[in-house]
Amino acid sequence: MAVRERSSIQGADTRFLDPAVLSRINGLDLLARTVVDGFLQGLHRSPHLGMSLDFAEHREYMPGDDIRRIDWKLYGRTDRFYVKLFEAETSANFMVALDISKSMNFGTHTITKLDYARYLAASLSYFSQKQRDRVGLATFDHEIVEYVPPSTRHLQRILHALARAEPGRPGVLRDPLMRLGDNLYHRGIILVLSDFYEEPEQVLDSIRHLRARGHDVIVFHLLDPAELEFPFESAASFRDMESETMIPIVPDELVDEYRALIGQHTEELARLFTGSRIDYTVLDTSKPLDHALFRYLSSREKMARVR
Amino acid sequence: MGLLAPLFLLGLVGLVVPIVVHLTEKQRRQVVDFPSLMFLRKIPFRSSRRKKIHHWALLSIRALALVLLVAAFSRPFFENDVVGIGSTLGPREVVVVLDRSYSMGYGDRWERAKTQAREVFEGLEASDRASLVFMSRGAEALLRATSDRDRLLAALDEASLSADGTLYGPALKLAQTILEESEYPNREAVIISDFQRTGWKGDEGVTFPPGTVVTPVMISDEATPNATVASVTLRRDFFSGQERMTAVARVVHRQGEAPVERTIVLELDGQEIQTLTVLLDPTGSATVTFEPFTLSNLYTRGSIRLDPDALPQDDELHFVLSPGRAMRTLVLEGTSPRPDVSLYLQTSLEISEEASFQVDVRRSSSLSAADLEATDVVVLNDIRFPQGATADRLRGFVEGGGGLLLILGERSAWQTGLEEILPGRFGPARDHTRGAARLGYLDYTHPVFELFAGPRGGDFTRARFFRSRDMEVGPEGRVLARFDDGSVALAERRLGEGHVLVWTSTMDAFWNDLAVQPVFLPFIHQMIRHLSGYRERVPWFTAGQVLDLADPAGMVFVADRESELAPDVDQVALTPGGGSVTLPATDGPRFLELKEQGFYEVRPPGTNPDRPFTVAVNVDVTESELETMDPAELAAAVAPRETGVQLGIGGETLSAEMQARNQERRQSLWRFLMVAALVLLLTETAISNWISRAATMRFEDGRSYVPSNT
Repeated sequence: MAVRERSSIQGADTRFLDPAVLSRINGLDLLARTVVDGFLQGLHRSPHLGMSLDFAEHREYMPGDDIRRIDWKLYGRTDRFYVKLFEAETSANFMVALDISKSMNFGTHTITKLDYARYLAASLSYFSQKQRDRVGLATFDHEIVEYVPPSTRHLQRILHALARAEPGRPGVLRDPLMRLGDNLYHRGIILVLSDFYEEPEQVLDSIRHLRARGHDVIVFHLLDPAELEFPFESAASFRDMESETMIPIVPDELVDEYRALIGQHTEELARLFTGSRIDYTVLDTSKPLDHALFRYLSSREKMARVR
Repeated sequence: MGLLAPLFLLGLVGLVVPIVVHLTEKQRRQVVDFPSLMFLRKIPFRSSRRKKIHHWALLSIRALALVLLVAAFSRPFFENDVVGIGSTLGPREVVVVLDRSYSMGYGDRWERAKTQAREVFEGLEASDRASLVFMSRGAEALLRATSDRDRLLAALDEASLSADGTLYGPALKLAQTILEESEYPNREAVIISDFQRTGWKGDEGVTFPPGTVVTPVMISDEATPNATVASVTLRRDFFSGQERMTAVARVVHRQGEAPVERTIVLELDGQEIQTLTVLLDPTGSATVTFEPFTLSNLYTRGSIRLDPDALPQDDELHFVLSPGRAMRTLVLEGTSPRPDVSLYLQTSLEISEEASFQVDVRRSSSLSAADLEATDVVVLNDIRFPQGATADRLRGFVEGGGGLLLILGERSAWQTGLEEILPGRFGPARDHTRGAARLGYLDYTHPVFELFAGPRGGDFTRARFFRSRDMEVGPEGRVLARFDDGSVALAERRLGEGHVLVWTSTMDAFWNDLAVQPVFLPFIHQMIRHLSGYRERVPWFTAGQVLDLADPAGMVFVADRESELAPDVDQVALTPGGGSVTLPATDGPRFLELKEQGFYEVRPPGTNPDRPFTVAVNVDVTESELETMDPAELAAAVAPRETGVQLGIGGETLSAEMQARNQERRQSLWRFLMVAALVLLLTETAISNWISRAATMRFEDGRSYVPSNT
């Protein structure tokens, strides 16, 4: 199933998922709808995919009701037409934990990492809303900056909070994520969006307790292509966006070592998260959002099967 | 090509700026914001070669732009109009000004100068014309505007150095005239010289015609040490009744690098008298005093020679000496004079280092013709003026060139007829009752008093005059001194060839105390010298001077025997080089041009007198100062001006507007340089930005990114 979906998404029109195109859309609401609808359209699947199949109650057939919903077994027993009403899946909480630390304000392409994360958060919140999930949002740097509790009616608040999220301070994962875990009483899905500039063990330590509390955790590691490739050529002073410290760098001399180090970092994170049953994905912010969406859906489906 | 503001060339030091920017500033100023230095810090620090130039083209463009900017601000200009007037097409009018002053004899300068001139002549086209102008203190156009190259080269081969100094003005003026007279469109002046500073006055007023290309050719040497016999002082004195001369030579050494020891020789009539050694500082002078020698012959030729150096012309100095002639003074004090009336006068004339006065004091009032024949000056000291035949003889004596000094005293008395001889009428003796009179006015322009004109030249006001005779000076007379009450103290009258002086007080210590004042002795000497017509003989002339042998006023300075140069006798002058100049008898002037260094002999043709009239000629020692000037300075001074109305190619007048345009065109190079610099700077900006964008970040997929710079 997953393989088939992947092949179908690769053939889909990803024009509306390109960050460069999305950056020209004003309003996260419109953007989210564009992304999700375009994405779902590309999947050639029912727009109601994911709708809960749990039976809720019967009621008498009323003219205009879909005859496919008539419960024929009950008709056989009672000789009366009843239609089945399905209970929407409203029990799942979908919480987005968005890192808005200063380092997220980096971008060498059209958009920054934070923009990319903003689009993802908006899109997936919209998508979850359509799935009848309760959606919530927590933006954080070294503390929680804004918290929107999960609710089926909080999508607009989330989009508004995303729109006004401004990076400005250095970030730390542990404290805000601990506090977030303490605030979430119901189990749900937590999507963590960050660039994870901490040691892998510290990152895992910060996120692991969410998993321990029974949440399904999906981690998207956002990295700009410049952070992955380190394509600088001219010698310059490199300034840490969070600590403001500067060191002179001759890129030619250390590009290979840098690439090796960032590779080791992501591999170590993947290893640690996998061992903790946390879904981890590295996202290149120059790439379309479909990969992220697909990863989310597959993770969601996997989680549903496990449940 | 010249520069209006050459100091701006110092801006070339700024060439280091692009290199420094290239190596350091660029890295220092570029700051890249990066999300985290977490991984970069983990990489061990390694020093890298920052002093490495990555973009040679960029550096070259920056440096070239700076050079062009500096050149533009230096305001280059073409010294000669390369377009328009100074077209190089067509025949040329070339004037070669060749310096042949004796300083060109330093080393091989003369041969080098002739080689340069030869190259100019050999480079002439058939249609070209050339002139050869020799430059010394005067100018001589040997060949003028000729196309005959062979004649030019032959004249050059025949040319020889002169003994003259350098003066740029006449030769350049002559060259200017030749060029102005030429109808050729292309005019050139080639000035071949050692460009001595001494010959340039700066106000020569020479301006070559428009379009003239001035080419100075410097003939010089790196070091020019040179010793010169700068001057000789010849001092006369008498010892044991013989006249002796002492020669003191001053030797100057210039531009030497170390002290040198030179031999210096005194020669008389070709005989070496004494040889000395003189030690000369690298730059300085020394005085050499030779032993006194006895002078007994007329026109004795003397020379002082240094052993020759690179410039031998100034290593010798010639002079001509003749025995001195004492000024014979006859003092008449009457038959019964007051005691010691002539004591001070006689004593003062006998006290003379040069022993040039011969005094004869007589207690008489009579004068024979023989007395006057053997006398230069007659002094009538407080006696009545002679009468009758004596008076006539005395008058004739004065008119023939003799001198008469009349000293008025108690016994002096006015008599009829004296107004024909004396400068004025004198009256009776008068006491200065309101205190002693003092000399209040002296005519310092007169030869008697000019010796005292200088500061501390003698104080006549200290002398007190208690008595004197009043005198009314007539129109023929001239007052030379007055007392402070305005009365006449000394008056003069010119009578024929001689002079009469009247002193209205006595020359003893009776009427005044002048005789005991320090000024008394030189005052008496000056009066007797003046009255005797004494002239100091000139021991030598300077090359280039002209001597008029028919001018008695001038000849008294050189000749000792007046008769031998009588204007009615033909003369011939033998030059130092062995040539001869005929000086035929004439009523007019008889000029002898003293061109060569050495001795000129003048004698009647066909005769061989023992001691002919001789004059010594020396080079001008200022020429031996070999300091040079900048040839460009001279070239700029004589180069065509761009002001006023000038003649164009075809003789048409160029308007002031055209001249201004021409001048502007010659100086407009800076605009092109500025535009070129700006274009280069724009190119540099574009390339720099391109490199910055393209090279700062380049992704594997070909996209680029420019980090924010602060």
